[in-house]
Amino acid sequence: MHRRRFLKASAVLSAGAAGAYALPLLTSFKSSAETTRAPSTKLRWGMVIDLTRCPDNCTACVDACKKENNVNTSGDKLRDIHRIRKVTLESTLSAAPARKSVPLLCNHCDNPPCAVACPIKATTKREDGIVIVDPHRCMGCRYCMIACPYNARHFNFRENPEQPNPAYPKRQHGVAESCNLCAHLLDQGKRPACVDACANVNAQALTVGDLNDPNSEISTLIRNHPVKRLREDLGTEPKVFYIGL
Amino acid sequence: MTIEFKPIEGRSRAFYVLTFVLAALVLAGACATWLMHQHGLYLSGMNNRIPWGLPIVMAVFYIGLSAGSLVISSLYGVFGKLEYKPFARVATFMALLLMMGGLLSILSDQGRLDRVLVEPFLHFNPLSMLSINPFLYSSYIVICTVYLCVLMIGNEKWTKRLALVAVLWAILVHSGTGAIFGFVPRELYKSPLLPPSFIAAALSSGTALMILIVLALFRLTKRPLEPKPILWIGRLLAVFIVVVVYFVFIENAHRYYLIESRATERYFLFGGFHSVLFWMGMIFVGAIVPATILFMRKTGDSIPWVAAAAVMVVAGVFCERYLIVLPGLSHPPDLIPGWRIVESAAEEGIVSYCPSFYELLQALGVVALIGLAFIWGLKLLKLLPIHGQSV
Repeated sequence: MHRRRFLKASAVLSAGAAGAYALPLLTSFKSSAETTRAPSTKLRWGMVIDLTRCPDNCTACVDACKKENNVNTSGDKLRDIHRIRKVTLESTLSAAPARKSVPLLCNHCDNPPCAVACPIKATTKREDGIVIVDPHRCMGCRYCMIACPYNARHFNFRENPEQPNPAYPKRQHGVAESCNLCAHLLDQGKRPACVDACANVNAQALTVGDLNDPNSEISTLIRNHPVKRLREDLGTEPKVFYIGL
Repeated sequence: MTIEFKPIEGRSRAFYVLTFVLAALVLAGACATWLMHQHGLYLSGMNNRIPWGLPIVMAVFYIGLSAGSLVISSLYGVFGKLEYKPFARVATFMALLLMMGGLLSILSDQGRLDRVLVEPFLHFNPLSMLSINPFLYSSYIVICTVYLCVLMIGNEKWTKRLALVAVLWAILVHSGTGAIFGFVPRELYKSPLLPPSFIAAALSSGTALMILIVLALFRLTKRPLEPKPILWIGRLLAVFIVVVVYFVFIENAHRYYLIESRATERYFLFGGFHSVLFWMGMIFVGAIVPATILFMRKTGDSIPWVAAAAVMVVAGVFCERYLIVLPGLSHPPDLIPGWRIVESAAEEGIVSYCPSFYELLQALGVVALIGLAFIWGLKLLKLLPIHGQSV
């Protein structure tokens, strides 16, 4: 009698547990279908970086980004946040290697591995193609950093004590961080901080615009120049295009 | 025919000293975890290039051990081998605790502990391996608990059914854990072989741990134990080792053979500290020596030799778990083929990882918590038989 009652109770319990598990499953399928939908004919943000116009020693974009997004760097190469960083490249092919200075940032992939990896959809691709982290949802599992093949993701190992730009939310420590193409500025019809800074130093190497609009400046640039994207072989479909790489 | 199970006395001085020491370690681990999450994870040894370190290594190690323990219990539950009935309860209990330890390791490694128990339930991502797995783990814990209860009640019919469910679920859990790493676009991670090789390593480390636990428990409680079933598990362990080596060989040979991954594979095989762990820890100490011991008639039939082999296998699989997680992170991805990065504000080359003091304390804390729950389980529950014979 005891046994039967026990088994009945455990059956009820496991059915309840199964129900509790199924609940998030049911709601999740709908929204995941939304994020994986083919690019719409509406707005689709992308960026072109013209390396022929990018001066070697200029860090205007990097500095503006830090200021706009309240990013603090202490010189710790391993734990500082770099939403955008400039690297110097040396060719592995020729005997006298040519050098290039290249800005690297989140590629806002059309198939973002980070968003697939995120267990709680804190990283998502917006309708307009921007890959964005919700710092108020992210629980800091860091799986997105594992999944990103571009090392474009960083982690708030400590909090930034200063907040030079009060308009941008302060992040707590323990959440992931990456470039969001200054979505808060784009939404207001302004340019991202890096693009703005680049134009202000008269370099105009960075262009941001709508990839779905054939008449936009960015579409014209892509049409008229040979462009490259980083690691296209991975199938991530990056939306940052390089001229002169 | 029935086997009498009796809790351990647990009144000796040694028992209380052990309890005290383990409790102190648990407390220290909890403090370390709290500090890391109060001040930020810069207190850990992790960084932007190596976002996963010791806690994840420990988690996959525990999860693997858990499956192996369950296999011992399934020898009775699924295959009906009566000589393993005396160990079924303790093996299932250990499987349960180890899985809880694995889950705890993962949970305490999160950046925001305040969101860990809320967000996964609100926003499930069915595509994320890290979303699917915690559900597999927690359901595995439920299944193991029910299975253990049925074992304790002694209902033969339901034991058989639940044992089968538990074993099948364990396979799912371990394939899933392998997929966390295998399904990621990183050169040393991505591999369809990772889920099955994860199961193989889980089986070998888990059976090895159970050999050690059973031997230690029967010796410490002075209960008689027949050597034959243990020696047979030793033979089983030898087979598991061979399977693990086979998977490891295929995986690495494949990476080395293909030119696209040869440079990375060379880094894995001969690129630093992890290569020493691979050749010395995993291959020599973890596979060649114990397999030789277990396959040789003379040593394979001796309990002390089998115990020594089991220790080596557990150590070898720990190295294997480290090698799954870390070399794939410390090696930089090739961001722009044909070019190398010579200057950058961030670290772009090979990165090394060393767990910090806090991380070590945290890891010790979880080990201690598993140990504490185990010895008190033995004291409060009827897990251990009065002798090791089935009849």
